[in-house]
Amino acid sequence: MKRIVFAFMLGAALATAAFADIAKPQKPTKAKASIDSLLHISLKSDAKQARLIIPKSQLAQLRAQLDQMGGADDTAAAVVSGTGMGNRLPTIVGGLFLSLAIVFGGIWFARSGKLSLRTNSAIVVLIIFTAIGSAATFVYGNAGPPPEARSITGKMFTQAVHLYGFGSGQIKLETSDDPDQPLELIVPNTEDGSGEE
Amino acid sequence: MQEIRQARFELTSAQVFAALFVSMCALAAIVIGSFPLAASIATVFLFAGVHNLMEFRYFAARMPVRWGRSRLFYSFGIGGVLVLAAAYLTLYFSSGNWLWSNDSWLWLTASWNTSFILWLAFLFYLRGRQRPRSDWSWAFPVGFLLAGLAWIIPQYWSLSLVYIHPFVAMWFLDRQMRRTKPEWITAYRVGLASIPIFLVLLWIGLARQPNLPDDTSLFWRITQHAGSEILPGISSHLLVATHVFLETIHYFVWILLIPLIDVKAIPWRIERIPLFSNKFGFPKLLIGALCIGALVVAALWFGFAVDYTRTRDIYFAFAIAHVLAEFPFLIKML
Repeated sequence: MKRIVFAFMLGAALATAAFADIAKPQKPTKAKASIDSLLHISLKSDAKQARLIIPKSQLAQLRAQLDQMGGADDTAAAVVSGTGMGNRLPTIVGGLFLSLAIVFGGIWFARSGKLSLRTNSAIVVLIIFTAIGSAATFVYGNAGPPPEARSITGKMFTQAVHLYGFGSGQIKLETSDDPDQPLELIVPNTEDGSGEE
Repeated sequence: MQEIRQARFELTSAQVFAALFVSMCALAAIVIGSFPLAASIATVFLFAGVHNLMEFRYFAARMPVRWGRSRLFYSFGIGGVLVLAAAYLTLYFSSGNWLWSNDSWLWLTASWNTSFILWLAFLFYLRGRQRPRSDWSWAFPVGFLLAGLAWIIPQYWSLSLVYIHPFVAMWFLDRQMRRTKPEWITAYRVGLASIPIFLVLLWIGLARQPNLPDDTSLFWRITQHAGSEILPGISSHLLVATHVFLETIHYFVWILLIPLIDVKAIPWRIERIPLFSNKFGFPKLLIGALCIGALVVAALWFGFAVDYTRTRDIYFAFAIAHVLAEFPFLIKML
């Protein structure tokens, strides 16, 4: 027991030394996360595809912001999370615990002596419903957003998209040489609401 | 010969209790639904520290002098409270540490949640072993299921703890009432049944209310605590009102109702505490702990008066200890 405690203490002591040796990253300069601009949205019946026109002067400002923020990589974060499993770890561990729950639940159920013809039937019914429910998630999982929310057209501003909460679609990014022009979003607004998806 | 009996309408103490319980809930729902932020600030200021002291007083009264065959249960329970509370505070106060990325923070909190759940599952299992003809090993599959959820949907797990905590007080009251005031138990359950009704009324009334202002750090913390960031589609007015309503009932239970039904929990009846009066007890230690508790309550009031926001943050960080301490005593009462 004493050896285990000693090993823990030694490990903890060495760990602090190891962390202490990691250089503290330089504090990123507080770069402004955004630039102020003006967006002009125009619905055009003759437009075939949505276009976002960005003045080159504003692109230059954005590039300057990006250059400033370039040195703010969080190296310390990489040291600690290290393995690159950050996003997958919760799913892996969560899945492991759910599997353990099923295994231990089964063992408990079998040991508790509650297995009978009635309970077996109930389990079979439960499994069937669970399978149907799981299949339903595939169906709903594949259901897409309403047609109005699948392309950027004038119909993007209708109630259907408001209810859905968001929409998306292809857009052309263009630049403009005119320094006085605001950001402009041109949205196709044909009668049938069609646009290139 | 005919006997004439006159029917009299008499209110029993249980009926009076039920009527008062429902009336207090109604009053709380109206006031909190109308002024959720002000009610949150006022209730935490007035009752937070006091209810912790009352809980400590109650647990001290329930703690046996000799643990006997419950030695493992109490050792594991109290040891778990100390270790988990220390780990929580370490995590809380080292958040923002430059060594921790968001991922590290997520898996450290998820690991804490898992430890907490498995600790609870083992406490249930140990309690089941003490009861005749009981097998509470179902606690492990349930614990693993909850641990899985805590990893997969950590934000909802943490939020559910915030909302479940007030119900633990109501469960305590139920268990205590069955022991010391069984004639009130039906009336109490009628009162409990009214809580979902008040909640539904609050939700109907507040669902379409605009979000509460969160332009100050204090208001932001209150709305965050109630889950406005995790549930952005729900009015923060509704969330804060629901949270404060449940918290207020839980303060009410600890400060007023439990001492009302259990003579051992009346604050000044210290001689009823076995740890104080038993010849094998620790009277000086107990008196010292109660005095320190009273000083902490006074310090909290002072802190709230000077810097409410900071004191609230510190209070809720340390309050995890009382959240944890409730479980061994509750499970022991099952």
